[in-house]
Amino acid sequence: MSIAPSLIFFLQVWGGVGAGVALLFLAWGIDRIDEDARGAYVFRVLIIPGILLIWPLVLWRWWQLEAQSGRWLARYQPVRRAHGLAALAMSVAIALIVFFGLSARQDWPADIAPVRVETGS
Amino acid sequence: MSVKYIPVQWNPNKWYYDGIMLVGVAAFLWVFLYITPDALGHERPINPQIHNARAFGACAFTMLTVILCIGPLARLDHRFLPLLYNRRHFGVMTAFVAATHAGYILDWYFAFSSRSPVQGLLEANTSYGQIAGFPFEILGVFALICLTLLAATSHDFWLKFLTPPVWKRLHYLIYAAYAAVVGHVVLGILQDDRGIGVNLLFIGGAALVCVLHLAAWWQGRAEPMGIAATGWVQVAPVDAFREGFAKITKLPDGDRVAVFLHEGQLSAIANACAHQNGPLGEGKIVDCLVTCPWHGFQYDVRNGQSPAPFTEKVPTYLVKVEGGAVFVNPAANPPGTAVAPVPLEKGAT
Amino acid sequence: MSDKPFFVGYLPAPGGLRGCLVLAGALLMLGMAAAGFALGVAQDDPGEGAFRFDYGRQTVTGVVELTPYPLIHVTEGNDRIKAGETFMMSAGGKSGVDGRAAPLAGQVAQVSGVMLERGDLYMLQLRGGRNGIRAAEGSGAVPEPQDLGRWRLAGEICDGKCLSGAMRPGRGLAHKACANLCLLGDVPPVFVSTQPVEGSEFLLITGPDGTALPEAAYDYVAQYVTVEGQVRRHGSLLVFAMDPDTLALAP
Repeated sequence: MSIAPSLIFFLQVWGGVGAGVALLFLAWGIDRIDEDARGAYVFRVLIIPGILLIWPLVLWRWWQLEAQSGRWLARYQPVRRAHGLAALAMSVAIALIVFFGLSARQDWPADIAPVRVETGS
Repeated sequence: MSVKYIPVQWNPNKWYYDGIMLVGVAAFLWVFLYITPDALGHERPINPQIHNARAFGACAFTMLTVILCIGPLARLDHRFLPLLYNRRHFGVMTAFVAATHAGYILDWYFAFSSRSPVQGLLEANTSYGQIAGFPFEILGVFALICLTLLAATSHDFWLKFLTPPVWKRLHYLIYAAYAAVVGHVVLGILQDDRGIGVNLLFIGGAALVCVLHLAAWWQGRAEPMGIAATGWVQVAPVDAFREGFAKITKLPDGDRVAVFLHEGQLSAIANACAHQNGPLGEGKIVDCLVTCPWHGFQYDVRNGQSPAPFTEKVPTYLVKVEGGAVFVNPAANPPGTAVAPVPLEKGAT
Repeated sequence: MSDKPFFVGYLPAPGGLRGCLVLAGALLMLGMAAAGFALGVAQDDPGEGAFRFDYGRQTVTGVVELTPYPLIHVTEGNDRIKAGETFMMSAGGKSGVDGRAAPLAGQVAQVSGVMLERGDLYMLQLRGGRNGIRAAEGSGAVPEPQDLGRWRLAGEICDGKCLSGAMRPGRGLAHKACANLCLLGDVPPVFVSTQPVEGSEFLLITGPDGTALPEAAYDYVAQYVTVEGQVRRHGSLLVFAMDPDTLALAP
C-alpha cells in the first residue's frame, strides 16, 4: 500500500497549522517579543514561508521569549564543535555515496548474446 | 543591524555581490540552454523540458558547490571574507534555481499520468533497497526542502528570534542537503552519463567542497585554551596586544573571549557577535567600535552595546593585568554591562 | 590579522582588497559560464526515437489481440503501416489503451493516432475516445502465435512509449521513475535486447501466462539485466513472457 496519500495529507495538515501559527504570530505575537518588528510590516511577508515550515520551533521560541525562560548566555555560545562534525559527516557521506554509486554503474552488456534455452513447441 | 526590520537592507556592496551572482547564473543558464544544443549536434535534440531541467539542476549544483566553498575559504584566508558577507542572497537564489529544476521535472517526468505529479513522484519508483535504480529523486526532494527552509529563514529576524546558535544548527542542514544533492546526481544522471567531463565536474566539485571543509576544520581544531590561574584565565602577555585588535582566548567552559586594546586600555567582550555569532575578536576597532568581520555589526568595547539606534548587546568580562600578562575573569557579565577599561601598563612585570 | 585590509560590508571595500574582489567576481562569472558549457555539452545523444507528427495522422484497421497489452494485427494498412504488421499502442500521456481495447479483443477495429518511431520499433499513440479506436467493418482473426522457445536474454526493461521517442532520452536510470509511472499506467513494456532475437532487437514484455509486467520487474526497470522467458511471435512482433524468478543484474 502506498504511503503517498497519507504523506501528502500530513504535509497539507502541517502547512495548514503553519498558516494558522503564521497568522497568529505575525498579527499579534511578533510585536510582543521583538521590538524591532514593531511598526515594520513589509518584512513579515518574507517570514511566512519559514513559519509554514518550522512552526513548532516558532511556537517553542515564542513561548520561551514570553516566559523569558531562555538562558541569556546561550545566545553567545556558537556551535563550533558541531561544525567540524557536520563537515566530517558530510565528507564521509559524500565519499561513500560516490564510491558505492559509481561502483554500481553498469556497462551495456553488448557481448551477452540471446540464448535459446529450450526450443518451442 | 536592526532598528526596524525591512525586507532587505541594501547597500552598494550587496548590489555588486548580487549583480555578479546574477550575471554568473544567467551566463550558466544561457550557455547551457542556448549554446550547447548546437555544440551537441544531436540529430534529434533532447526534449526542451529535460534540457531546461538539466540546465537548472546543474546550475543549482554549481551554485551550491560555490556557496559551500566560501565558508572554509574564508576561514583559511581572510581575503575571502567579503564573499561570506552576502552569502545568504546566493543561497536564496540557489533555492529558486533548484525549485525551477524541480518544477520542470515534476511537470514533465511526473506529469501526464493519472496520478498527481507529487503522488507520482512518491509512488513511481520505490526501489529503496538498491543503489543503482534507487529513487534518487527523493534525495533531491530532501535537498530542496532543506534549501527552501534555509532560504525561508534567512532574514535577520530569524537570527534574532531563534538565536544564532539555534539558527546555525538549523542551517547546518546545508551539509545534509549537499550530501543528498551529490547522491541525487551520482545515483541519477551519473548512472547514465559516463562522459569524463560531467563526472569530473560533479565529483570534482563535491571533492573540492569536502577537501576545503576538512582543511578548515583541521586548521582550526588545535586552538589552545587560556591558562586558568586562581579562577582567572590568562589571555596573553601584555606585549602581544596591538592597538585596535584583540586576542581571543578559550575559557574552560568552551566560550571564547575577545580582549581588545583600544586607546591603550584593555576591554573584554564575548567573541560571539549577537547577530550571527561571528568571531568579534577577528575583527578590529573601526571608529572606536569593535566591528565584526562577518557582517560589520559594531559594539562599544567598554560595554558590549551597539551604538544607538541599534540595540544589539554582547556580554562583557572583567580584565586584569598581572605579572606582565593579561587575564580575564571567566564569569560573563550580562550583555551590555559596562566595565571600566584596564590600562595596559606595558612593560609591567 | 593586523594590518591586512578589513572588509566591512556597508563601507567601500578597502583598496588592498578591491583587486582580489574584482578577480573573484570575474572568475565566478566566467567560471559559471564555463561550467554551463562543460555540463551542457556533456549530455549524451538521446537517440533517434521521436513522435512522428511529420508523418501525419495514421489510421489503419486490424484485429485486436490482448497479450494482455493490446496489439493490432493490421488488415488494412496505409503507406507507412502495411497490412500484416503488428504494433503496440498507447493513449495520450502515461496511459495504455487496455480499457478501450479490451471490449474489442479478437475483433476488427480501426485505430487512429500519431506514430512514435525508434528504428524498427514503432507504436501508435491513439486519439482520445472512439476517435482513437473503434470497432470496424471487415474480417480477420488473430494470427496463431508461433512459439520460439524459452530464451535467456540480456538487455533493459523500458516503457515502450518513452523508448519509442515520447521522451528523449527515454531510457536509462535517470528516467526510471518516469518509465515506472508509464508502466503503472499500462503503457506496454519493451525489452531492448543486447543483440537481435530472431531478427528483432525489441520485444514486448508480459508476465508468464498472459499476465501484465510482473511487480518484481519494476525494481529492475532501466537496469541492465538477464532474464529468461518464453518468446512467441505474434504477427510481426515478438512477445517475451518473462519469468520474474530468473531476473538478475547483468554481470
